[in-house]
Amino acid sequence: MIKCDNLQKRVPIAGAELEILKGITLEIKSGESVAIIGASGSGKSTLLGLLAGLDEGSGGSVTINGTDLGTLDEDGRARFRGEHIGFVFQSFQLLPALTALENVMLPLELQGQYDVAEKAEHYLKRVELEARMRHYPLQLSGGEQQRVALARAFASRPAILFADEPTGNLDSRTGDRIIDLMFELNREEGTTLVLVTHDSALADRCDRRLRLDGGALVQE
Amino acid sequence: MSMTAARMLARDWRGGELGVLVMALVLAVGVVSGISAFTTKLQNALVQESHRFLAADAVVSSGRPLPEEWLQQAEADGLQRALTLSFPSMVYAGDENMYLASIKAVSAAYPLRGELTYGMQPFGETLPASAGPARGEVWLDSRLFSLLDVALQDQVMIGDHAFLVVAVARTEPDQGASFYGFGPRVLMHYDDIPATGVVQPGSRVEYRQLFAGPEASMKAFSRWLQPQLQDGQKALSVEEGQPSISSALARAESFLLLAGSLAVVLAGVAVALAARRFSERHHDYVAIIKSLGATSGAVNRLYASSLLLLGLIATALGCGLGFAIQAVFFTLFAEQLPVQPGSSGLRPYAIGAATSITCLFCFAWPPLRRLGQASPLRVLRRDLPLEGSRAISDYLLGLLAVVLLMWWYSGDWKLTLAVLAGLGVTVGLGLGLALTLLKGGRLVGMSAGNIWRLALAGLQRRGLANALQVVIFSMAIMMLLVLLLVRTSLIDEWQTQLPVDSPNHFMLNIAPQDVPAVERLLVAEGVSREAFYPMIRGRIMSVNSEALVSTEDVEEDRRQRETNLTWSQGLPKDNTLVAGQWWPAGTDQALVSLEESFAERLGVNVGDSVGFLVGSQPLEAQVTSIRALDWQSMRPNFYLVFPPKLLAAYPSTFMTSFHLEAADKAFLNRFIRRFPTVTVIEMDAVVEQVRGIIEQVSAAINLVLVVILAAGALVLVAGVQASVDARMHESAILRALGAPRRLILGSLLIEFATLGLFAGFLATVAAELSVYILQTLVMDMRYTPTFWIWPLGILSGAFIIGSLGVFSCRKVVAVAPVTVLREL
Repeated sequence: MIKCDNLQKRVPIAGAELEILKGITLEIKSGESVAIIGASGSGKSTLLGLLAGLDEGSGGSVTINGTDLGTLDEDGRARFRGEHIGFVFQSFQLLPALTALENVMLPLELQGQYDVAEKAEHYLKRVELEARMRHYPLQLSGGEQQRVALARAFASRPAILFADEPTGNLDSRTGDRIIDLMFELNREEGTTLVLVTHDSALADRCDRRLRLDGGALVQE
Repeated sequence: MSMTAARMLARDWRGGELGVLVMALVLAVGVVSGISAFTTKLQNALVQESHRFLAADAVVSSGRPLPEEWLQQAEADGLQRALTLSFPSMVYAGDENMYLASIKAVSAAYPLRGELTYGMQPFGETLPASAGPARGEVWLDSRLFSLLDVALQDQVMIGDHAFLVVAVARTEPDQGASFYGFGPRVLMHYDDIPATGVVQPGSRVEYRQLFAGPEASMKAFSRWLQPQLQDGQKALSVEEGQPSISSALARAESFLLLAGSLAVVLAGVAVALAARRFSERHHDYVAIIKSLGATSGAVNRLYASSLLLLGLIATALGCGLGFAIQAVFFTLFAEQLPVQPGSSGLRPYAIGAATSITCLFCFAWPPLRRLGQASPLRVLRRDLPLEGSRAISDYLLGLLAVVLLMWWYSGDWKLTLAVLAGLGVTVGLGLGLALTLLKGGRLVGMSAGNIWRLALAGLQRRGLANALQVVIFSMAIMMLLVLLLVRTSLIDEWQTQLPVDSPNHFMLNIAPQDVPAVERLLVAEGVSREAFYPMIRGRIMSVNSEALVSTEDVEEDRRQRETNLTWSQGLPKDNTLVAGQWWPAGTDQALVSLEESFAERLGVNVGDSVGFLVGSQPLEAQVTSIRALDWQSMRPNFYLVFPPKLLAAYPSTFMTSFHLEAADKAFLNRFIRRFPTVTVIEMDAVVEQVRGIIEQVSAAINLVLVVILAAGALVLVAGVQASVDARMHESAILRALGAPRRLILGSLLIEFATLGLFAGFLATVAAELSVYILQTLVMDMRYTPTFWIWPLGILSGAFIIGSLGVFSCRKVVAVAPVTVLREL
């Protein structure tokens, strides 16, 4: 379960402070899927970064499954991410130096797991990429790259999956297939899903929608 | 994790990310280990060469017979042993002819080191001998054949014993350079001495025991022997046999060490630049793996193990390169070196590995270490600034590493200082330039309307980065210029020292009345020669009326000694005054001019008085000047020069030196027959050897220059690459907006060429300063400013940087802008 209490984010710009998030309070239950929507610059990605422990807030707290992220340092948060959190990004964020298989193995290796190759192969098969496991990201299409990213995200069996505009770099047909796959996997694995999107159709497929406007949550 | 590191490394290698880094490391290790293996072997060869001039590894000499027990001890230690005995004696041929010769009796094992040669006709071809004369036989000096009017297979008498003349004595390894006052050589067997009956107690003789063996046994034996030595028994030190060769080699060694140090600095800079670019390009990687749960410790371990792996591979490759470099050098030298240099051992490669570790730790690690602190938030926001990749501590660590490496490697703080001074000037001027650029009025936008304005706007926009680049470029160019300048003046100096027709024979003991006839004969035979110098034997007796010790047996600088005196109206050719003044023409005062090192040994300065005994006449002269002279010139040189009027009354002989081609050596036989009392000293073999070695040293130096050029080019490539990403990005945007190819390439060319121009200028200023310090303080050479270096440094800077820059960015006009933008 994710609990967020009066979460704020301010950044210094040209001598003044810019308030990006103005005290967000929310709760997301285990297994729930939530879409964060809003215009560009409304603070969606900042909120995602804070919820996922990629960044530190300027005030308030984020608690995930009873752990207050504010009490952890960056290394503590990194370990926490490795154990509990998976990501899917708009720009895929695969490591170009590694093959599809190696990219999926990476988080498992970072956690010191065993049989990482078998586990990674399992998830690549699940996203129907068994024929392209030895290919490098540059040899894959955008849709294929995002499927590798999905396999990587689910391979470490995270409790929560954060997705940042997962279809933003894809055409609508490819995007739809990715989303179907993501929701299927989400159901199978019982994962909590938090996704940031512009796409209202995508947002509609989630259990709940949170709208951000000028750094604050507004009623739908 | 190490598997991930290996995979990452392999992929980065394939992607061309690691090329400069690895090449720089390989080059650093290769040059350092290669040069150090080469100099180690060269030094081995020099030590062996000096042993050659002793004909042994160690020698003890005395005027009285030496103890038998020393030979027994040497035998027990497993050493080789030989005996020699030298003494002057009359040699008779028939009833009519006799001559005072310098006899040397040698045992069968002689020589233990070096080569003994003989000939089958006077002044003829020299042949290697495996041993000296057998019992009952002698070898005679070329001159003696005409002096005694004998031929091979004739008999000569020494004392009571008759000997068969079987060969011409040509050269002995330990014949030494002190040829004055010695008669022509006769070689005989040691065991024949009793039969001659000429050596009696009290005779003027020199006994020698010669020893040779493995280094460890020799050391143990020398330790045992040293305390046994009594008055009159002397262990001969390893003397510099041939100052010309050792001085040429010493300078070459300085040059090679300088080159090696510069290679390390250049490679270090290239490593640092490449590592920084590598680190910048890996920030996104790190953000991803951190978002996947990697801690900064894990990131550091990942990159540290990558670096370690890279270091191991590069060190192995570098050691291979080093081995190849020294092997090539020694192939060049093989024919010229009279001795086998042996193995250099593993130390040079250990030095190479240490260099690699230092480069990795001080140059490559600082930028990579920061990757651990990269923010994982970059996965969401790529526009986040990179973690402070320009920390001042990196530069300080790098500078410290450069200084320590150079000092450790060259063992010469003056050399280090000279290069540092140049680097200091470069950095200082470079930063000044940065400030000027930054202070200048801000140009508007990208100024894309005009090729020049676009270029200048680009220069200004990246003011600080550009200044840094200028500093790096000029460092590389400066070091190349320094090396080029030093190399050129070294080789020039060698060539003027021993030109092709430099004298290779000396003639001594020419009677004054024979001088015109000798001169006519030389001219008639077309032999080029130096002037005739008068020569008078004299003995130094006192300094400032204080008598000097007279013993010959102890090593004492201030003692009485026999030496050759000459006179001259003016300062002799090739001599330079160091102190005092030359005497006025026609002076009849008792004055003398001393050679620098001679004056130093005697402890004499301008204004002191020195007492001589010339013949049986005492002579007191005042020192009016001290001279420096070039002992390597192969021209007659004298420690002591007097005004002509002072010595004219004493009996004198004359000497000269001349050049004779190998094919013309038969002339010497005709000459000796006509002037039997003149002593001819053959130095042609030595001169040839010196010339040969100098040629090879020059070849080695040129080879090193090429290797260093490669290191310099790497720095330039790495320096250009460091800024290519930003420039490509801007150019791609301009291209997307429709800027023509010519505008983009033109402005890039102007931008890079301007940087190169500045860098070339800074480099030239700094190089001149460095070379001044190097030549005056380190290499003991004369400094003269070089004018051609200015256009060369400045224009080649502009040309090379300009072309490299355009070449590195050419992709931006060759592929679609969107590809460039996506890849960056």
